Amino acid sequence: MKEGFRQAMAWLHTWAGLIFGWLLFAIFLTGTLSYFKDEITHWMQPEVQAYPLDDARSLAAAQTYLQQQAPNAARWFITLPDSRDPGLSVMWQDNNDPGKRGNFIQKVLDPVTSQPVQARESMGGEFFYRFHFQLQMPYPWGRWLSTIAAMVMFVALITGIITHKKIFKDFFTFRPRKGQRSWLDGHNAVGVLVLPFHLMITYSSLVIFMSMVMPAPIVASYGDDSRAFFNEVFPNTNNAPALGQPGVLLPLGPMYAQARQQWAGGHVGRLVVNNPGDVNASVNVVRAGADRVVHDFGSSVSFNGTTGELLRVSGEQSLPAAIGGSFYGLHMGHFAGPVLRWLYFICGLAGTAMIGTGLVIWLGKRQLKHAKTAAMPFELRLVEVLNMASMAGLMIAIAAFFWANRLLPVSFAERSDWEVQTFFIAWGLSLLHAVLRRGRQGWVEQLSLGALLFVAIPLLNALTTSQHLGVSLASGDWAMAGFDLTCLASGLFLTWAAWKMQRRAAPQLKAERARGLTLKQEAN
Amino acid sequence: MLLALLMCYAGFTALCLSTDRHHGELLHSKPSPPRRLTLRVAGWLLLALSMWPAVAASNWAQGVVEWCAVLMLSALLLVLLLPYRPRLALILAGVGLLASPVAAFALL
Amino acid sequence: MKSKPSLPVVYRLAVTSRVLAAVVGGYLMASLAAVCLALWMPASRADAVITGMMSSFVFYLLAVIWCFACRTAGRAWFGVMLPSAMFATLAGIGLWMTRT
Repeated sequence: MKEGFRQAMAWLHTWAGLIFGWLLFAIFLTGTLSYFKDEITHWMQPEVQAYPLDDARSLAAAQTYLQQQAPNAARWFITLPDSRDPGLSVMWQDNNDPGKRGNFIQKVLDPVTSQPVQARESMGGEFFYRFHFQLQMPYPWGRWLSTIAAMVMFVALITGIITHKKIFKDFFTFRPRKGQRSWLDGHNAVGVLVLPFHLMITYSSLVIFMSMVMPAPIVASYGDDSRAFFNEVFPNTNNAPALGQPGVLLPLGPMYAQARQQWAGGHVGRLVVNNPGDVNASVNVVRAGADRVVHDFGSSVSFNGTTGELLRVSGEQSLPAAIGGSFYGLHMGHFAGPVLRWLYFICGLAGTAMIGTGLVIWLGKRQLKHAKTAAMPFELRLVEVLNMASMAGLMIAIAAFFWANRLLPVSFAERSDWEVQTFFIAWGLSLLHAVLRRGRQGWVEQLSLGALLFVAIPLLNALTTSQHLGVSLASGDWAMAGFDLTCLASGLFLTWAAWKMQRRAAPQLKAERARGLTLKQEAN
Repeated sequence: MLLALLMCYAGFTALCLSTDRHHGELLHSKPSPPRRLTLRVAGWLLLALSMWPAVAASNWAQGVVEWCAVLMLSALLLVLLLPYRPRLALILAGVGLLASPVAAFALL
Repeated sequence: MKSKPSLPVVYRLAVTSRVLAAVVGGYLMASLAAVCLALWMPASRADAVITGMMSSFVFYLLAVIWCFACRTAGRAWFGVMLPSAMFATLAGIGLWMTRT
């Protein structure tokens, strides 16, 4: 390659961006939705009632339930309700197979009755959150793939910066209605103007899984005893082992209060009880992540579960731990209030748009070269199909997920699994549709379907529940109303996109029919 | 966050106007060297000073994050408005500057 | 219209070589750099390890950029393997020092 540095970086940017672009689009879109996962869960489980927050009552309710249902579990997790998530979430890890990673069972409780909420089973917003880093693949393969994608994203961002010659001159430049030029201007705009966010979100995602993907330093420094490393970094996980003798767990309320005292009024995020049925039970009271920007993994107060003795208060974070915690905290955005959360969401959409416009440009540039030939080469046709399915198809799948939530019977036992399956079935069908239809037509049809599905969601909500917009706006249930309104806005955006696509397609359709686009291998 | 937003948006507008191309598009004339310098200085100053209201409203870490968010999104707003509603883009900057003292007063 | 001649095999092999140098060689270099930081940084064991891991991705990025910016595929490998060897040596010395 005798080209210059910039050209080489442009080549790398183009190919890395294409190969991983489809996956990265999905990760970014579902990740962006995750910033409102609690609100999405609220819409998808409208039966979960929000009560005024009363931590003492919630904690007592959780303890009562867990004592009945899982007295001999390996661990209990109690996540207290907060302003965004009204659910009192309990989870336990069963102890059936010693030495094996026990199964996790989760329930959402009503803090007043201490019984499981009679709400439709659904993953809610958690589905998007888990998908964006696990990709519906078995542990740990999804995480590996998403982290590899993150590294490629990092390379694409930096090579993009290097390639963009006029990054300062063209800082404010956006020229619409000029075809490929506009797409590139748009790609540059959402890329450069929101660059701090893109760099932060990408690098932080690498840091989040760094112990998994870059374990060499741990092994070099700790040898066989990597457990010691994790105990130092996550002191919560360093708990006394079970002694095998039964013990009685004290009420958790006083421990909660003592922990809050240690934090001068800071909030409790969750409690982890290890070996609750054992005499050596330990309770970790973990601070709420929303308390500060820099996430402190160690911020917890530990007690002996049967004597109530204060075992350990986590100390100040070291600088490297604080830097790592900053990456984690910034990525998660737990600390963000409503306005900042919307800003996070918009930045995430900008990142998604950056990837999407890149994919469109990649194809558009090469399609121009082949505009006069009889047929599109196989490679370009493949890119066209994947572009359509990964972008318009994904949006249809998301809408289908919400439709399934409202249409599947509430009492249907496997409805949670079927909601997820509907998502993937819809996505798969959109891929099939993309294969069968020609480029522009396919886009118009998929965008239109997506538009229809999203616009109709508030109506669907009104027809299937009593929480429609009239009710939610009147009662100040902003999460419910916000969801309906955002779906409506998304639907309107997709309508506009479909209309634009249709307008541009119309004069070309006749000529295309005459030539007859077909799938064809590029002749050598 | 509102004051920071107003200041960032106005700052970016000033920086945008200080370039030949955009000054020509928006005000239909080439900026004279003293005007260009004033706009540049004013723009950077507004951007830098906008950090103060962001940090003053909440703690240091949260303030910096909010400032970055406001910075990015005010730039994005300006760039998306410019080709479609250039006059509105300029008017918003003007109104923002006028409203800033009011917003600042509300903060104190 | 005459169809484009497809890219020569030599070119494709060169690109593949660079990709391997970047992906595999780069990972090796990043890991070894991280290990060096973990062993040589004057901080607590855990802190040094964390710093090493967090910085590793920058080394990986530099390796990837080098592999595609340099003039030949051979240089790509050399440019990644030489620093890797250096880091490996430093790491080895670091390990030997902690053992004794």
